[in-house]
Amino acid sequence: MKIGRYSLNAFTIFLAGTIFFLPLLAAAEFSFRKPGGKGHSFTNYSWLLQQEGFLPALGTSLRLAVLSGALNLILMVPTMVVLNLKAKRYKSIVDFICILPLIIPVVSLAIGAQVSMPEFLQNTEYELVFFFVIVALPYTYRALDSAISAVDIKVLVEASRSLGATWFATIIKVIIPAIRSGIIGSLFLSFALAIGEFTLTSLLHWDTFPTWTVVAAQQNILGAIAISVFSFALAIFALTLVGILAARKKNQNLVLENEEVE
Amino acid sequence: MKLKRYSWLPLLPFFLFTGYFLLWPILGVTLKSFHNNAGEWSLSNYTPLISGAYRHAFATSIRLSIITSVISSVLGAFFTLVIVKNAGSRLTSIIESIAAVFANSGGVPLAFMYIAAFGAEGMFTKILKFFGWNIYAGRFTLFSFTGVVLVYTFFMTPLMVIVFRPAILGLRKEWSEASLNLGANTLTYWRRVAIPILTPSFIGSFFLLFAGAFSAYATARALTVGTVPLVPIIIGTLVDGNVISDQANLGDALAVGMIVVAGVAMIGYIWAQRSAAKWRQS
Amino acid sequence: MAKQRASSTLKLENVTRSFGTTVALDGLNLTVQPGELVALLGPSGCGKTTALRIVAGLETADSGSLLVNDVRYNDTAVNDRDMGMVFQAYSLFPNMTVAENIDYGLRARKMDLPKRMKQVRKMLQLVDLEEKSTRYPHQLSGGQQQRVALARALAIEPTVLLLDEPLSALDAQVRSQIREEIRAIQLELGITTLFVTHDQEEAMAIADRVGVMNKGKLEQIDKPTVLYNEPATPFVASFVGQANRLPATITGKGNVKVLHQKISLSRHSTDLRDGLPVEALIRPESITLTTENDDEATQGLLVSKSFLGPLTKLGVALEGLPIIHINSQSKDVKSLEIGDRISFKIVADEIMAQNV
Repeated sequence: MKIGRYSLNAFTIFLAGTIFFLPLLAAAEFSFRKPGGKGHSFTNYSWLLQQEGFLPALGTSLRLAVLSGALNLILMVPTMVVLNLKAKRYKSIVDFICILPLIIPVVSLAIGAQVSMPEFLQNTEYELVFFFVIVALPYTYRALDSAISAVDIKVLVEASRSLGATWFATIIKVIIPAIRSGIIGSLFLSFALAIGEFTLTSLLHWDTFPTWTVVAAQQNILGAIAISVFSFALAIFALTLVGILAARKKNQNLVLENEEVE
Repeated sequence: MKLKRYSWLPLLPFFLFTGYFLLWPILGVTLKSFHNNAGEWSLSNYTPLISGAYRHAFATSIRLSIITSVISSVLGAFFTLVIVKNAGSRLTSIIESIAAVFANSGGVPLAFMYIAAFGAEGMFTKILKFFGWNIYAGRFTLFSFTGVVLVYTFFMTPLMVIVFRPAILGLRKEWSEASLNLGANTLTYWRRVAIPILTPSFIGSFFLLFAGAFSAYATARALTVGTVPLVPIIIGTLVDGNVISDQANLGDALAVGMIVVAGVAMIGYIWAQRSAAKWRQS
Repeated sequence: MAKQRASSTLKLENVTRSFGTTVALDGLNLTVQPGELVALLGPSGCGKTTALRIVAGLETADSGSLLVNDVRYNDTAVNDRDMGMVFQAYSLFPNMTVAENIDYGLRARKMDLPKRMKQVRKMLQLVDLEEKSTRYPHQLSGGQQQRVALARALAIEPTVLLLDEPLSALDAQVRSQIREEIRAIQLELGITTLFVTHDQEEAMAIADRVGVMNKGKLEQIDKPTVLYNEPATPFVASFVGQANRLPATITGKGNVKVLHQKISLSRHSTDLRDGLPVEALIRPESITLTTENDDEATQGLLVSKSFLGPLTKLGVALEGLPIIHINSQSKDVKSLEIGDRISFKIVADEIMAQNV
């Protein structure tokens, strides 16, 4: 039975590797091919940097991503803390709202934005920031909620308040460090989502990194592949870093738990 | 506790924000879809949806979503099990964040990476050819329905890992141990305990994947350039003004149509969530 | 109801088990006689749960033997062991009714339906839950859930019953009630039982014999009264029941000087050398109040007084010592007030001491 289980695991890992990592590798290999000829080089990557639109598009995306990460935290951290601390009975409704962006087609949301948003907002690319926060809600909600439920936030706050700390000090010194992993996770998720968002951007006619890529692909498909590999690798690196940071916190808790377990 | 009545007050920013940027646009497009070009109440925008190309587009989108969700939910559930059973907490969180990247990459990079891997000159294609399988021997292209299924599976399977993991973590160790202790083998445990407990969550996740596949736009857009008629792509071309339509609000009707289909999936999701919660302690 | 089958002897011989660098079991020897209920008691991390899980087959021993009726069981598969186990909590299958839960093991044994139904009914009667047979676990109270878990474990007519802190998740009141029910059923069926707990009161109340474990070893195993009155080691003395720890000196000839008294040293504390400063362990009920002119008396300040029905717990402060706890008959100390100076002395034939 043991052997059966091991080979099943091995098979699964092999399958996952084939499905997910081989295409990545294949794309990486492709992105280093010389245009037209044989052999490999950095040609496609240097082509990228020579393109006029590349850096401005990347700049816009980064700017929007930073803003939506920040707005996401400003909106969601207090909301989630209050929700778990004082307003538990509204949890099911907030939970429901936060799952909606997974279900309401983003295309429909984009059309709705054109119909309903006031003129002045539609005239600036920063309107995207608000919608990026909406689209990220299902993920940020989850990240924050699991971090908050992992600590007994009510006890922490009561302890801090009863020791004479102000609300401000309680938030800065107690709550935020306690749910640090959730905050980092939610920040990176909303950031990554904003960097890669295409649907809303394209339908609302703005130029960011992903939409620029699609246009560039019509000129140079190898260049577009190079961009894709580059952004994918960057995202995986960033999120793995977050994963390790968050896990370090978890492992500390785990050590304590292990002492309880026999 | 006189403060209790105002406990929703700190939640006001959240409700205002989601109300204005999520619900209000949806309400707006819904109302507009029921008006004709002259601004009168009308169902005329919806008539093209019942037949012809638009109906075909809805059928194609739904078919694509069902196929990809079935494949991804089964594969994803399988992966989740292996991950949860074997990976330590650090490895799990790394896998989870990689899954998050893949799941969120239902976008442009993914399409181009697939072109690189599975295109006629792609490395994957060459490897398969080396083993005697020329995927281009038949009518397969990456820009076809099958191609889209392949690419969608790539980002929906990791999504399944993310949404299904809590359910697997909810399987208590005591259940499998009690089952063994009572003399049942592993197969019996799965058949009579684990699978019945996981089924509602699995169905719920399936509906979530369905909604995700149904509304996905970026990948199909970058990959197919309209070769496969999917509703989001058609809406996109209408919005871009590439297609001259005598009905200005047709796109709104299509958008509302998508919300309706997604809404059905949502009802399925909520129903499944309720069933899954039924057995939960306290 | 008659005994279900001839009861079994359970024996662990020199069993060891390590997890990485932590030694969970360090050569455990234990015999549970047929029909006997042995409780393994100890602080968390002492190895008691590991021992139980090795018996159940959910863990494997690194070395040593597990014997049931002198047959080696080490390599028997978990699902062939015929041992009924009750877990801490939440072990019932949530998707099955009470009756289906109890039936699970019978069905796995491919018994025919009429026999299974008869056995399920018998078990429901045994735990007095006949009217709940079609309920789901989440519709039951914690106490009822544990009774179902017991019925499920007993339905397969196990050779040995294993109880892994089955009461720890219950409220105090329900806990003692279920504890008595478990004991009554165990006696009725005469089933060999191993019970693991960290609660000494629970262990003392339910078991024929209690084994006190510390750091993967059995410190002492005996009847509850013996454990309490004649602890074999200082660890047992301080873990079972309460004890005041007072500084003392060994004065030779097997005596120990503590407070103003000289008392003989317990025969279990033989390894202590003369003149050595030690720590004497004195039970709260071994100290009584006395008068000032008693030359063995010690004076102290009464700082706490808690009424516990027939008994009253007193706390007495002395300079340079921890608070000394005294258990007195409530009627004897009625007139005392906090702040009073009181005189007391130790009344014990022998006391136990340990190195500081």
